[in-house]
Amino acid sequence: MSAYLVSMGTFVGFFMILALALNLQWGITGMVNFGIAGFYALGAYTSGLLSAKLGVPVGLAIPAACLAGLVMGAAVALLSVRLREDFLAIVTLGVGEVIRLIVLNEDQITEGPRGLRIEARPFGEMIGPDLYPLFYLGLVAACVLLTYAVCEAIRRAPMGRTLRAIREDDVVAEVLGKNVLLHRVQIFAVGGFFMGLAGALYAHYVQNISPEVFMPVVAMFIWMSVIVGGAGNNRGILLGAGAVMVFLEGTRFVGDFTDALDAEKMSALRIIAIGLLLIVTLRLRPRGLLPERKFKAPSD
Amino acid sequence: MSLQMIVNALVNAALIAPPAMAFSLLFGILRFPNFAIGGYITVGAFAAFTLNVPLGLPLPLAAAGAMAVTALVVWGAHVLVFRPMEGQSAITLLVVSIAVTLILENVIRLFYSADVRGFDIPLQRPWKVFGAHITPEQVEIIGWSLAIGVMLHLLLAHTRIGRAMRAVADNPMLAAIRGVNAGRVTAFTTAICGALFGLTGVFAGLDLVIEPLVGWNLTIPIFAAAILGGIGSPYGAILGALLVGLAEEATILVLPSTYKIAVGFVIIAVLLLVRPQGLFGTAEIKK
Amino acid sequence: MPETVLAAESLTSGYGKAVICQDVSLALAEGEITCVIGPNGAGKSTLLKTIAGVVRPMSGSVRIAGREIAGLPAPRIARSGMAYVPQEANVFRQLTTHENLTMGAWTDPGRAEAACARVYGMFPDLKPLRRVRAGNLSGGQRQMVAFGMAMMLEPRVLLLDEPSAGLSPLMVRHMFDIVRRVNADGVAILMVEQNAIEGLRVAHRGIVMAAGRVALEGTAGALLDSSEVSELYLGTRA
Repeated sequence: MSAYLVSMGTFVGFFMILALALNLQWGITGMVNFGIAGFYALGAYTSGLLSAKLGVPVGLAIPAACLAGLVMGAAVALLSVRLREDFLAIVTLGVGEVIRLIVLNEDQITEGPRGLRIEARPFGEMIGPDLYPLFYLGLVAACVLLTYAVCEAIRRAPMGRTLRAIREDDVVAEVLGKNVLLHRVQIFAVGGFFMGLAGALYAHYVQNISPEVFMPVVAMFIWMSVIVGGAGNNRGILLGAGAVMVFLEGTRFVGDFTDALDAEKMSALRIIAIGLLLIVTLRLRPRGLLPERKFKAPSD
Repeated sequence: MSLQMIVNALVNAALIAPPAMAFSLLFGILRFPNFAIGGYITVGAFAAFTLNVPLGLPLPLAAAGAMAVTALVVWGAHVLVFRPMEGQSAITLLVVSIAVTLILENVIRLFYSADVRGFDIPLQRPWKVFGAHITPEQVEIIGWSLAIGVMLHLLLAHTRIGRAMRAVADNPMLAAIRGVNAGRVTAFTTAICGALFGLTGVFAGLDLVIEPLVGWNLTIPIFAAAILGGIGSPYGAILGALLVGLAEEATILVLPSTYKIAVGFVIIAVLLLVRPQGLFGTAEIKK
Repeated sequence: MPETVLAAESLTSGYGKAVICQDVSLALAEGEITCVIGPNGAGKSTLLKTIAGVVRPMSGSVRIAGREIAGLPAPRIARSGMAYVPQEANVFRQLTTHENLTMGAWTDPGRAEAACARVYGMFPDLKPLRRVRAGNLSGGQRQMVAFGMAMMLEPRVLLLDEPSAGLSPLMVRHMFDIVRRVNADGVAILMVEQNAIEGLRVAHRGIVMAAGRVALEGTAGALLDSSEVSELYLGTRA
């Protein structure tokens, strides 16, 4: 049971990093990203392939995954210049799907649906197998804290005010002399960086990655975390990611009490429940569980 | 490009043109890209399957039943989910619409499992036309798709409710000032679009397979067709569908066919960047 | 004494919690043109929107020929014999001229055909444009379509929000000619105008609004002569 809780905690950590990154992009800056699964896959496969196929040490492979996410984020941000946000949503979803298709089809490199086996783990030789899951939970928790600290610092810094101005009205922000494009590219890149990190951490944790994990439904779970938690509020995001994950995993136990439902039906029920959770939350608390506090107008 | 590929492209286009028109109409009135259409199409396919196979109705009757069921589901989703959220941002509604698709898909998985199914129809030998194969079902799909295009045109251009649908999409405030009850027009639009999504489910079941993801896999080509045609313009959607059908077939010449579903995305991305109002549209979709 | 066709009493309205119109009362007699003038932000447009049912009143009453309409939704008010022409977005851009006109007879489609013929008689310029989309018309032509649409069912009361806005000086004169002609046929008109002098010259009576309230009212001639009005709101010394 405790092993299960440790593993669940680790997964909550991946979700939290992804959700914090999305909150930075959307909640704070107002840029839509539905390609989260693609960024997550990019991170996982960059780090996984580098260490499994090229023998690059984990200490270099994980930063490389972050860097891949960063570059990809900057590239996608350039699309946001011309697109209205709902169409950017379709395009980013497309970017995510194309990444998944490449992983699926280029199986000579990625092993495709067979799954990529990754032996290397951070500090894998130094820590015994009994303690390793607990160590990894700590590592992921540290990464969550790091992500939270960076996101919170950006939100509180003078830059955060500029970002909210861009979110509310990019034309006005532009007129006020803010370099909207530069800010957008920077923030999207930082968000991509952390999504890449989450992917790499995931890859070295499960040690076997395959494309069916990176379906668009991942993006949905992260969006739900942000909307349920309260877009714009980093603490709300942690709560939202935790709530969605506990809801996803917690409903697993319902299956243990009844034999009437097989695994397939249980997983269907879980997704239905998550969908309903989102709709009910939005009906009852349209701005999320912990809404963003109204920010003060600049006093200077 | 061989004749066979053109035939395939035509069948693809005939499959996605009606839902692309419906998507365009819905977008005109509700103003957000509705990802729920994937779920709606899946509902249509399974409703027709249930009426046709376990209940033994002939396929035309089952198709009519599926259209009615889907119209009811789409209208119900509008009343229960989307209408109460009026005023929320387009992105929030978009996320909610994906949630609706997930719910519908998984309700179906709950009752039917993810097995691949087909309708109970006699297997017919494909016809050979100048060396190209085409099945009688595919000919029917093309015929019905054309008929629907004509009927939708007659509805929009020459009936009172059709004019009101365009008026509400164009300027809801003025429509209200002139006495149009927008709620009723929207309800009618959702039901019509629902019937079209239901029929698409039937066609998809005939041409592809019946499985819970059948609607999701069609969603992006449908979006691509509607956006190509200029969003909110149902006629443009027909041309958009033809182009998407051709592009998907042409891709097979250079890339493995497994990349086919990426074609829609690439079309959308390139088009939105180069010509944001769509090829035939006037409505601005850039910001 | 002519009958009062439109009467508003202690009408208060606004958006959210912000009150824009406060305690406004006015009466429009049959066959009369009343022009509402005042500085920007005085609540003139909001007053018209409230009467037309586009903005919900917070309190007060609006009666048309004695029948209470305050608080009814806009589509119901459209059936009360009053027609409202908004200032902006007052045509269906995707619909043709002719389709726009027929939308003006939505509540009584049986009369559409005869009404179209009458409106084309009123605006002969529109006749050759009947198949052109309203979005492709010039500003003046669009204003005629908007006006014609409102006239389809021969309303007793017409609400006009800045009919001269954005038009060339020539079109402005043309527009006010039309207002006079429609009025001569017996339609009572409540009109908001930024162009105060021209507006008052067409009108019988005038209402000056300031900060959401009625500041002054009287005959149009008296208001035009009043030095107070000239200085405060017309921006010229008479």
